[in-house]
Amino acid sequence: MEYVNPLTGLRIDGRRPTEMRHLKAQIGVVSKADGSALFEMGNTRVIAAVYGPREVQNKGQQMNNTEALVRCEYSMANFSTGDRARKPKGDRRSTEISLVIRQTMEACILTKLMPRSQIDIFVQVLQADGGTRSACINAATLALADAGIPMRDIVTSCSAGYLCTMPLLDLNYAEDSAGGPDVTVGILAKMDKVTLLQMDAKLPLDTFETVMQLAIEGCKAIAQYIREIMLQNTKQLECRRGS
Amino acid sequence: MGLLISQLAHYNQAQKKQNKTKNGTPKVPSSQLSTLNSFSHSLLKFTARRTPTSSYQMETTQTTEGGGGGATGIAAQMEVEAFRRLFPLPFYKRHLLESVRPDARALDSARDTTISLGPVASADGSALVKIGETVRLSCWVKKAMLAAIKLEVMTPSKERPDEGSIVVEFYMPPICSPMVRPGRPAEVAPVISKQLLDVIRSSGMVNLKELCLISGKASWIAYLDIYCLNADGSLFDAALLSAVAAFTHLQIPLVSVTEEGRVFTVSSEQEEKTKFELVNKEKRKLSLSSIPFPLTCVIHEDYILVDPTAEEETVMETSITLVLDTLGNLVSIYKPGGVGLASTEIMKECITRTKRRMQELKTILEESVSVMEVD
Repeated sequence: MEYVNPLTGLRIDGRRPTEMRHLKAQIGVVSKADGSALFEMGNTRVIAAVYGPREVQNKGQQMNNTEALVRCEYSMANFSTGDRARKPKGDRRSTEISLVIRQTMEACILTKLMPRSQIDIFVQVLQADGGTRSACINAATLALADAGIPMRDIVTSCSAGYLCTMPLLDLNYAEDSAGGPDVTVGILAKMDKVTLLQMDAKLPLDTFETVMQLAIEGCKAIAQYIREIMLQNTKQLECRRGS
Repeated sequence: MGLLISQLAHYNQAQKKQNKTKNGTPKVPSSQLSTLNSFSHSLLKFTARRTPTSSYQMETTQTTEGGGGGATGIAAQMEVEAFRRLFPLPFYKRHLLESVRPDARALDSARDTTISLGPVASADGSALVKIGETVRLSCWVKKAMLAAIKLEVMTPSKERPDEGSIVVEFYMPPICSPMVRPGRPAEVAPVISKQLLDVIRSSGMVNLKELCLISGKASWIAYLDIYCLNADGSLFDAALLSAVAAFTHLQIPLVSVTEEGRVFTVSSEQEEKTKFELVNKEKRKLSLSSIPFPLTCVIHEDYILVDPTAEEETVMETSITLVLDTLGNLVSIYKPGGVGLASTEIMKECITRTKRRMQELKTILEESVSVMEVD
């Protein structure tokens, strides 16, 4: 199948190979949570809610007294994908992604500032169209910022692939299931350090470098957008406070 | 009497523990400590267990007012918050005496409701219901429910060969409330699932015969999944409303049958190209006969609070849910025990309030349908 049209150079959804999907974010969608955000990358829609820092609920899990415990759960709504027949939680993919998100966010949260407490990050996928992992990490970053949890830097994530001899940025579901390689990168934006790097399928080394570079640029663009959103949100809060 | 004294001693102990500061809990000002002791004295004279004496109420009024007048800004706010946490029932009683609630609503007014149809593009019918305030750009919502319906084909049962079926599932994911822990699902979720299924079946809103494709061979099964995105009291109301709205939005897709008898869906572009006979010619919408609308009230002595928040539900403990349909029939009454007893007058009051709410919800639903059809 032609994922990149040879005549026009456009992909199946009309984007250029290095173009990302339309981004949209909203902070504070869940009023009960300490921090929450809704993040959309094209048709992928994800809600993240952060509860914490609060008291550790399961004392057995608390490893040491000097750091906060970060817990993450990823679940997909039943109607999020095309066919309904999936067990939303507890299946292997969800557990794996929960672990990935937890470890990515743990790298950037200053856990040493909040000993003996617990930070819960819950992510719910409402609509899935490829790149859910990245959307979840971006949403979690916004939610943590909304909750006022101290972080080293903002973590953003983006995916890139290689189909029809072209590196493509931000794969959607059709391109993801085409069988080509899929590289997901998560970086700390200002510090320019990579926290998450996942790849599957075969890729020659020099192509891998191009694809990873493309994904990193995508992450930086998302970081720019996230900063704008947070600035807007702070201005609104200032306005409401009446200063 | 002996029992009362031991209860009193236990109460005193508990109060003393609460007064010590923990991380993050607000400290009760020392002026209130003296009132606690005087409360325990008055408790000795009183046989009633729950409601504090009127003298206690007056004393605390004086303290908070004195405290509020003396301290300014955040300190006064902390005292009110502390009072709210430590003595929720007197806090609410003071509000009820003025016929108002802490969020400045009247006792019989429900929160603003908005319904938007079709937020989930991949589902055959979906609705997002938001109950609460929307503050400018960032939606600061008190309660939100997302409902989506997916249709799948199945063989109908032998006893009812020309009827489809509906499966309702209500989820409370951990994002919705700090009380829900991952790994341990919320207690109320299956209760609400069952309530919803009962109400939808008994109201006859959906005629199951319309869900039939080929009698005896194929019919639709509608999976209705409702996700609570933000939980703040009267969850059943929002859930039923979103279920009803999703059914209003539902569009049954076109199907056709191959020679082997396999049924598959046909999208609108392929309509002309398909060689197989289309089983249902128009993309049909269900004709809903009488739509049920719910209202949850909470009862405390003689006060009826409509559309309670989560805090009000836990403090007052007795809730009644009434469901009325558009033809004026009572579809369901649900009062699962509780301390407050409901006399017939209170029931009649609740029914009047439900009728009013039903009219409101009906207009809101019709508006959202017309908005969608304009698009």
